[in-house]
Amino acid sequence: MSWRRFFQREKWDKERARELEAHLEIETQDNIARGMTPEEAGYAARRKLGNTTRVREEIYLMNSAEFFDALWRDVRYAFRTLRKNPGFTVVATLTLALGIGASTAIFSVVEAVLLRALPYPNPDKIVRVWEQAPDGHPMNLADTNFDDFRAQNHTFANLAAYEYGVSSIAGGSEPVRINVAEVSSGFFESLGVKLLRGRAFAPEEQRLHGTPAIIVSYRYWQQYLGAAADLSRVRLSMEGGVYPVIGVMPAGFDFPPGTSAWIAHELYPELGSRNAHNFRCVGRIRDGVTLEQARADLSTIARRIKEQYGKDVDLNDATVLPLADAMVGDVRTALMILSAAVGLLLLVACTNVAGLLLARTAARRKELAVRAALGAGRRRLIQQFFAESFVLSASGGVFGILVAFCAVRALPAILPANLPQRGSIAVNAQVLLFALAAIVVVSAALGFFAAWRCGAGNPQEALAAGSRSYSGAVAGRRLRGYLVSGEIATTLVILIGAGLLGRSFVRLISTSPGFRSENLITMEFSPPIPQGQWGTGRAAIARQVRQMDDIVARLSAIPGAESVGLAGAVPVAQGDNLADGGFLILKDERSPATFDDWARMAKDPAHVGHALYCVAGAAYFRTLGIPLIRGRIFGEQDDFDAPHVAVISQALALQDWPNQDPIGQEINFGNMDGNLKPLTIIGVVGDVRAGGLNRSPSGIIYVHYRQRGMNANSSPTILVRSSVPPGQIVPAARGIFREIVPDVPVRFSTFADEMGGWLADRRFLLLLVGTFAAAALALAAVGTYGVVAFSVTRRTQEIGIRMALGAERGNILRLVLGEGARMAALGAATGIAVSLAITRLMSSLLFDISTVDPLTFACVAGLVSVVALLASYIPARRAMRVDPDVALRYE
Amino acid sequence: MAKRGAAPLQGEVLQGTLDLLILQTLVLGPAHGHTIAHIIEHRSDEVLQVEHGSLYPALHRLEDRGWIASFWGTSENNRKARYYRLTRTGRKQLEHQTSRWAQLVGAINRVLKPASE
Repeated sequence: MSWRRFFQREKWDKERARELEAHLEIETQDNIARGMTPEEAGYAARRKLGNTTRVREEIYLMNSAEFFDALWRDVRYAFRTLRKNPGFTVVATLTLALGIGASTAIFSVVEAVLLRALPYPNPDKIVRVWEQAPDGHPMNLADTNFDDFRAQNHTFANLAAYEYGVSSIAGGSEPVRINVAEVSSGFFESLGVKLLRGRAFAPEEQRLHGTPAIIVSYRYWQQYLGAAADLSRVRLSMEGGVYPVIGVMPAGFDFPPGTSAWIAHELYPELGSRNAHNFRCVGRIRDGVTLEQARADLSTIARRIKEQYGKDVDLNDATVLPLADAMVGDVRTALMILSAAVGLLLLVACTNVAGLLLARTAARRKELAVRAALGAGRRRLIQQFFAESFVLSASGGVFGILVAFCAVRALPAILPANLPQRGSIAVNAQVLLFALAAIVVVSAALGFFAAWRCGAGNPQEALAAGSRSYSGAVAGRRLRGYLVSGEIATTLVILIGAGLLGRSFVRLISTSPGFRSENLITMEFSPPIPQGQWGTGRAAIARQVRQMDDIVARLSAIPGAESVGLAGAVPVAQGDNLADGGFLILKDERSPATFDDWARMAKDPAHVGHALYCVAGAAYFRTLGIPLIRGRIFGEQDDFDAPHVAVISQALALQDWPNQDPIGQEINFGNMDGNLKPLTIIGVVGDVRAGGLNRSPSGIIYVHYRQRGMNANSSPTILVRSSVPPGQIVPAARGIFREIVPDVPVRFSTFADEMGGWLADRRFLLLLVGTFAAAALALAAVGTYGVVAFSVTRRTQEIGIRMALGAERGNILRLVLGEGARMAALGAATGIAVSLAITRLMSSLLFDISTVDPLTFACVAGLVSVVALLASYIPARRAMRVDPDVALRYE
Repeated sequence: MAKRGAAPLQGEVLQGTLDLLILQTLVLGPAHGHTIAHIIEHRSDEVLQVEHGSLYPALHRLEDRGWIASFWGTSENNRKARYYRLTRTGRKQLEHQTSRWAQLVGAINRVLKPASE
């Protein structure tokens, strides 16, 4: 058989027909020549040639591929039969479209976030490096340790340190607060990226007190530098320094994520401490070196440091992880849960369609029996089922892909901002391939199922039996019952997942942060720093205080602004806004005069506490509504020259001064702000969940901004408690800032919005899992309804007999509901058993709730049962209305 | 038409032999289906009766294998007819098949001889 002829069979057949025609003519002519009459000649020729149609058929078959031919016939037949059952077809197609569409959309996220390689050359060679604490926790690197790692390793082509933070940058079209990364030499080489324009840092720009220079992101270049071709005169001012722009990174380069500009780390002096874990580290492993070898290499160095410095260092090992894994982090669990939920939804959808197919198989038994009797082989029948399920899943899949396209468009609105690669989520070739695979798997599964069911019955029996009853139907009905139970069980698992996430979420948002969080407007800004360094001296702080007081006073005058507080960070919302560190508990000893003394004293654990550091003004506590528990808060008398004071949170008081009065105790937290003047504790205030709502309150030491000033460990934030909507305050506030500090960018927000950002990934997960759970529940309801309704139809006569024999309506109701209840009970029991086994996989995503929370389990089981009963109630009502007279004659 | 008394071997032509006969016929030059059948019958002194119904599938099969090629031409009495000609592979096949046939016939004859003596 040749493919060319296979596809041109019609044309070839015509050729043959003509040829045979010609043959007949010649033969007829010959016969006439032999002396026959034309009529006789024609007959004789035909007789001799035989049946021309058979000859053509024989040739036609030679040109055919029997299998494909049959398949094509089956597909067409499937289309026809499906078109004749529009109800079944539409429900099945839409169900599959929902399952395949949702799976495909989630896969597009998984593909972009988890599966796609990082957009750097040889991305598997790029790693993140940490120091490892004795308890196994990874820590950022101290700069001296990093220097050792870099100098002593044999396995890295490049190793670079970096850190980043928000800075105010002016010099572009407008001042903005953007993320600026401080990167050491080897950073861009580690990632393997080249600049789009300009050049990387030159050696004289990468040494202590060298020439400042800045490289900007493509987006910043476009947005604030007007995509200028000539960068030679562009200078940006940042934190008091002036930085010429020397280069632009290519579009799409986004590391560390969200960074708009990069400056050289070497411009600034090293801290020289082996315990100040300030730097992140990224490196590129040499070609031919494995991850394990690199890890072992750095481990050796870390252990050597530990051996050399003993107790003076807190690392004892190194952690090395591929960059891709490190970037994904917690998101992996969330995406896995999401994939599992959507996979289960697809399973429910398939089960539902399988149930529908089963009902249809039962109804089509006769047709199939007739076909079998007419000589259709078992293989042909099975092939036909496959064709049907293929047509169904393919059309479901096409709709599903459309659904996925729409979903991927809509996704950015709900995706959490911290999701890596969120910008690159798209329905691409891989995603389409996934959808195709899903279609094939679904159609194969459904096809096998239908074929298996078709083989179960005896065609003779089916032919002989009336349309009403035969033994095969009972087995079919029971199987449908099990299918629905399975559906209910699967739905229950998704629902329990959603329920646990939902309960966690509710607990989380109803957790008090420790203050009144409503109607709170936040304004973050960076005041200009004249010398590029935060001053700790009297004049520097006095200048700051004057400016802040001015701003606060003006803001307080805005109508609707009830109270205005000043602090070093927006509390709680971002989770890690406040810097933390060790502080000295002086215990009547003299406060250290130098940082060397400080470090010496800190070696005695009895003298060291650990707390968050927060700069605040007196009005801060009032504005937020943080209650004073003992002592007093900052007052007028606490000016720069007075003894410096501190207010501590209750958790810290309990932790470091149990059974004692902390008030009057002296501490030294000079390591945070560079001012070694000791602090006297004057008050204890209520706890704030500064590390995030999901964390227990941590100890906080509040210092007074009039004494310590804003500094490197604080970012000035004004909080306004308003009695009017933020929209009425913010424009006025914007005007005030523009007037007083025109070059300073200010970020206005509300506490609720900031919290919303922090909660976004949880909300995203909850929303999607909840949606999938709702969809699964709807499908399960439809499935239950289908089975019960089908059974009522089949049992109409039986019901009629029962009623004629005196059954009450209630009995009939119980009879029918009982069927639904049995399926629901079996499903719920299975679902609960499965959930008990697997919910612990999501423990890291839960808050303050057990993975086997009885309330959630009970509620979900109840909900599923109620839905199943409601779904059975509709056909049950129909059953109750059965007129025995009609039913007895029902055929 | 065939003379019935001459015991023609209609329908008894060994499977595959028809192919050989067709190829041999075409050695003389291109011919259409009717001529091919005619020549075979004629040259076998009407012993071999080609069933015209199986001639065309055989032609199709040979063409499919590339042993013969076809074209539309005009017949002796000026009619459109499909002509077949031997291809180079067909010619080689013919030689091969002919020698195979000779072997086969020789072998059968050797088997038959002692029994007939």
